[in-house]
Amino acid sequence: MAKSAKGRTGDAIITVEALSKSYGDFQALADITMEVRRSEVVCVIGPSGSGKSTLLRCLNFLEVYESGEVRMEGQLIGWEEGKATPRKQLSAAKLRDQRKNIGMVFQQFNLWPHFTALQNVAEALIQVRKLALNEAHDHAGAALEKVNLGDKTGNYPSGLSGGEQQRVAIARAIAMEPRLMLFDEPTSALDPELVGEVLNVMKELAGEGMTMMVVTHEMGFAAHVADRVAFLDKGRLVCCVPPGEIFGRDPADARVRSFLQTYRERNVV
Amino acid sequence: MELDLYVRYGPALLSGFGVTILCWIVGSLGGLVLGFAIACLYQWSGTWLRGALQAYIEVVRGTPFMIQLFILYYGGPYFGLVLDPVPAGILGFMVYGSPYFAEIFRSGFQSFPKGQLEAARCVGIDEWTAVRRIMLPQMLVSITAPLTNFFIILTKETAILSVVTVPELLAETQTMAAETFTYVEPFLVLSLFYWFMVEFTSWLGKRVEARVTRHLQRA
Amino acid sequence: MDFSFQVIIRNLPYLLSAAKWTIALSLVGMAIGLVLGVLICAARVSGNSWLRRAAGIYISFFRGVPLLVQLLMFFYMLPYVGLNLPATVAAVASIGMCSAAYIAEIVRGSLQAIPRGQAEAAEALGIAPLALWRRILIPQALRIGLPSLMNELILLVKVSSLASVVGIGELTRIAQNITGQTYRPLEIYLTAAVIYLVINAVLATAGRAGERRLSIWVGR
Repeated sequence: MAKSAKGRTGDAIITVEALSKSYGDFQALADITMEVRRSEVVCVIGPSGSGKSTLLRCLNFLEVYESGEVRMEGQLIGWEEGKATPRKQLSAAKLRDQRKNIGMVFQQFNLWPHFTALQNVAEALIQVRKLALNEAHDHAGAALEKVNLGDKTGNYPSGLSGGEQQRVAIARAIAMEPRLMLFDEPTSALDPELVGEVLNVMKELAGEGMTMMVVTHEMGFAAHVADRVAFLDKGRLVCCVPPGEIFGRDPADARVRSFLQTYRERNVV
Repeated sequence: MELDLYVRYGPALLSGFGVTILCWIVGSLGGLVLGFAIACLYQWSGTWLRGALQAYIEVVRGTPFMIQLFILYYGGPYFGLVLDPVPAGILGFMVYGSPYFAEIFRSGFQSFPKGQLEAARCVGIDEWTAVRRIMLPQMLVSITAPLTNFFIILTKETAILSVVTVPELLAETQTMAAETFTYVEPFLVLSLFYWFMVEFTSWLGKRVEARVTRHLQRA
Repeated sequence: MDFSFQVIIRNLPYLLSAAKWTIALSLVGMAIGLVLGVLICAARVSGNSWLRRAAGIYISFFRGVPLLVQLLMFFYMLPYVGLNLPATVAAVASIGMCSAAYIAEIVRGSLQAIPRGQAEAAEALGIAPLALWRRILIPQALRIGLPSLMNELILLVKVSSLASVVGIGELTRIAQNITGQTYRPLEIYLTAAVIYLVINAVLATAGRAGERRLSIWVGR
């Protein structure tokens, strides 16, 4: 595998410290502490409702949380530095600035239907990175080439399959050259035969050294591509260990065991 | 704001209000009945009659209310229809409203699940009773909102009756304004008045909707 | 009953010429309504509660008062506030302001039909709210709302007849004038009705064609 080719210096790109979030009475996340290192791929797995997506969305502040900190390369995301209580959210402009470096891929693709694939990828380059139209289109074209859609740049989302749409979504995120990529169940909305093409693109990205955090049900991907696997249950981080400790042999924790048990009964891991 | 002006014109304004409400209620209900008849005819008739009804709907919906009123009131005598302003206004309302009501009922008919009538037939209930007891009460659910909307539109259309000399509220207000040389104030009051009527009708409609959809509320 | 086609043929040119004013009033009124309506809609859905309330009152007022009353009030009020607008401009402005209230609601409904995820994707990429509105939300809202917007335009064509009351020389006014000279209300008003019908039929057909062509862009 190309893993050893990645420059893993071990420094943390993103650190999460005592993150907690609730919706009214329901505790979605409880006291999560973890980190993702440079060029690492961390897969987040766990039962439905365990808070996986919520955790991901807290990282780029799409969800606002009550306590805890998320820092990217030392910089606090979403909140103003300082000891003020209650703490103040960053201004919208500053938050947008931070989000430039974090890419996100959604379960429902969220492509803009009135733009072609090329226009979808180029839009943020024009509006956020302020590139000129031609430059933006060149960059966008290159990103689409990377996800093997160089011949479909002129297609509208309605003229693309689910797998192709998700790859356009990935291209849209990587065109911004983010330092961290977040994937929120990227293949859950796809027909089974289209899942592979998306996972392959993600594998390639990982091989090139992109720092990635992936919420997924694709255990094969977690087992073979992840550097570490984080298991969430009822909002708590049960463990965050190399895949071998979970998939290879009998996992230590009972919750992980029972989760993988039902999984194995229905699928091939 | 000179109150004695309003006191002096009070009776005239009140009469205008009365005419507005009369035309609105009688005209709307008349249009509703006519529209219902058209929708029923449309549902259960052949292509020839359907085409004619469709043409009627298109023609009335494609022309301004004012022109329709002119044709009925000023043109009427030329084909034997001589009416006073108020009856002409009411008739105009009925004609103007009928296609919209027809469309509301037609889509209500179409969106009703046919299976329920079949089920009724299977247990032996006859067609007419089934329509009356099962279809119509439930259709109320889907048509209440569009009906309320259109009733509100019709409250505002009453103002247009003034152009064929119907002595409704706008006409009386204009008379008062012209005779007292105060234009802005009476019209402001008039506006607030229509605004209130619209909000009230809307509120009423919401309550009717709540009552009609009661059986759909989750416990 | 004697029905004279002669009268119709002789006066048709005048009626058709006046119809141009009807179309002009409707189109310009619609244009004003679109621009103003989008702005009011933006206020209506904004985060600022004052803006929201103000927009709500605007929409409620202009949809709650008959347009005829609005027109008359507007015309009577102008001298009081010292504005001396030509009658046509005042009429179009009044129609536009009324239309804006309805269009604001149409756009608001259309915006709600756009999946929330599209705005989220833009947020995640760091796209600013203004760009999000301008490039992603409004273009789609206008396409989604096209049937209702087309309806609004057809309504404006009919409602332009009210401008006759304030003396604007559109189709209804001219028809009234000609009737006053020829004493042939039936023939003249029926002809006017037909002209309105034709205009609206053309608009309805254009609207349906436009809907078909734009349907590839609208969502899944």
